[in-house]
Amino acid sequence: MIEIKHLTKVYKLNKKQMQELHTKNNKKTAVDDLSLTARPGEIYGLLGPNGAGKTTTLRCIATIIKPTKGEIYVAGHEVQKESEQVRRKIGFLTSDIKLDPQFSTDYMFDFFGRLHEVPEQKLKERKEELFTYFGIKEFAHKQIKELSTGMKQKAAIAVSLVHNPDIVIFDEPTNGLDIITARSVMDYLRKLKAEGKLVIVSTHIMSEAEKLCDRIGMIIDGKKAAEGTVEELLALTHTDDLEDAFFEIYKEVKGEE
Amino acid sequence: MRGIGEIFKKEIARVVKDRKMLFSVFLLPALLMVGIMSLTSNLVSNMEEDIDSHVAVIYVSNMPESFQTLLDAGESAYDIRSMKEEEQIKEELKKGEADLWIEFPENLESQVENYREGDRIPQVKVYYNPSEDYSSAAYQEISGQVLEGYRQMLLQNRVGNLEQLTVFTVNSDNPEMVVQDDKKANGKALGMMLPYFITILLFAGAMGIGTDMIAGEKERGTMASLLVSPVKRSSIVLGKVFALMVISGISSLIYVVVMVASMPLMSKAMAGTESGMKMEITLEQGVMLAGILIALAFLYSTLIILFSVFAKSTKEASTYVMPAYLLVLVIGLMSMFTSKAPSSETYFIPLYNSAIVLKGILSDEVTWMQFASTLLSNLALGAVLTGVIVKAFERENVMAP
Ligand SMILES: Nc1ncnc2c1ncn2[C@@H]1O[C@H](COP(=O)(O)OP(=O)(O)O)[C@@H](O)[C@H]1O
Ligand SMILES: [Mg+2]
Repeated sequence: MIEIKHLTKVYKLNKKQMQELHTKNNKKTAVDDLSLTARPGEIYGLLGPNGAGKTTTLRCIATIIKPTKGEIYVAGHEVQKESEQVRRKIGFLTSDIKLDPQFSTDYMFDFFGRLHEVPEQKLKERKEELFTYFGIKEFAHKQIKELSTGMKQKAAIAVSLVHNPDIVIFDEPTNGLDIITARSVMDYLRKLKAEGKLVIVSTHIMSEAEKLCDRIGMIIDGKKAAEGTVEELLALTHTDDLEDAFFEIYKEVKGEE
Repeated sequence: MRGIGEIFKKEIARVVKDRKMLFSVFLLPALLMVGIMSLTSNLVSNMEEDIDSHVAVIYVSNMPESFQTLLDAGESAYDIRSMKEEEQIKEELKKGEADLWIEFPENLESQVENYREGDRIPQVKVYYNPSEDYSSAAYQEISGQVLEGYRQMLLQNRVGNLEQLTVFTVNSDNPEMVVQDDKKANGKALGMMLPYFITILLFAGAMGIGTDMIAGEKERGTMASLLVSPVKRSSIVLGKVFALMVISGISSLIYVVVMVASMPLMSKAMAGTESGMKMEITLEQGVMLAGILIALAFLYSTLIILFSVFAKSTKEASTYVMPAYLLVLVIGLMSMFTSKAPSSETYFIPLYNSAIVLKGILSDEVTWMQFASTLLSNLALGAVLTGVIVKAFERENVMAP
């Protein structure tokens, strides 16, 4: 289970960032008092436009960055106090985490498997399963720098799942993938859910969220604007597709300002 | 603990698998070194040969006949020019067109012959230009050998038997005149240069890889993948520090071996220190050397990694590390050119003490006490820096900006 309680994340901006954002304020609130709960056996989707705070939220869960305020519990472990236990439980994938381009997927898979203390036999089985599923075998021994974007993404997904984590956190996992690969990634996430794992993904693609997610949290300007199953969100906004629902909610939030 | 080993192995594999990296870290500097050294030694010996083969241009005023005979009988050839105006000769000396001007007093021969006690002793004046190589070489030869021989000749003419005038000689028949501790002498020549080269090469070898290991990984986005794995930050840091230590240690070892092996190439360049080229290292010296080198490799690695942690790219990291490199260079130079015996507190100043002690070990002048304080102070500073690096790794604005 992932429980986020009143998470606020404020970035301190350096001079360059302040210039880029045309602001004199050296603080940027990326996530603002966000609370949510995601449970095992479901796919929870964070849906929101670019800059909404999705990646920041997921990076806080994955212990890469520390919450400014609030608490996050991952399988009962608090992210700041027991970050190592949290890292043991999760598989985390985001576009700004990359595999070393000098090595092969095969090497990286083994390397992270050992860091996660996966027994050798188990490691072989996992490799067989994941490499087969994502069609990695044929390029497993090529240097990662020689792979195409799609291949790299598949390799990154496989490596992030090497230790068979109970909690899977994927930040825009289908970004840059062709529709066939994107489909197979989504299918795999469903398979993980069927195995009883907790999957939390972020996306800005409405159709993907609509098809994939059991529950959706709509994030706008770092705040949770709405939450529920697709049906609940449609009923709430009296619309009949998620995109319309999102715009209703967006208008409401922006209108208040 | 398990993480340290895995990360260590990966860092080593990264270097070993990469041909370009292998070449640029291990081979290229060694090749460059040998190249530069044999080039300089060639240039120096060419210069010496050139001076040897040069026929000195000499003006002689009031040339005594007996001197002319002596010159003709000698082996060396001189280009004796007919006299000119004094000012003109001096001008030519300044320009390096002429090498020497010997001014005999008028009628030297008869002055010497008719000498009575109390008369003024005749003086031969020799003018030369010390900033010209040819001129100084000619001066050395003429005033030291030719004129000295001439004087002996004239003296013999006057007194008949020279032996009566010789009260004693110095070392005219004493093949054992040089009494020195060979080990110490060997070390002096080596001790002068090796510590300097070792320290800078150790640092230079670690610099490229160290900055890549940390800042490069941040730049490529691969560091974050380590940060989400369940290894302690301290394990990541130690794994990388140890890997860097080993790689830079091996590279510096290669450089030292290449240097010692290519000594014959350079021996001309350092004429006269032939004996200094023999490397005889006792077990005790070897142990001390290894100890200091390991401590230094550790300290340098932590220094480089510390600077790299705060950089966003390898380029930025190299800029940050540069001042530390210059510091190491300066300290090396300082140790090379100080001959004063260092005070005992000196052996507690990390970096500096290692240069002093390396020099001391090679010339067999170091005590175990000095060695121990050097070893410990360098290791201690390295450990403190490691602690700082681990703290930096825990700061998100440093590691995950
Ligand atoms: N390291 C950072 N430093 C400063 N501001 C940041 C940083 N990372 C993200 N932000 C800002 O925080 C906001 C949320 O970013 P992010 O979480 O990446 O959004 P999303 O993933 O929903 O597109 C954005 O305005 C972004 O500019
Ligand atoms: Mg994002």
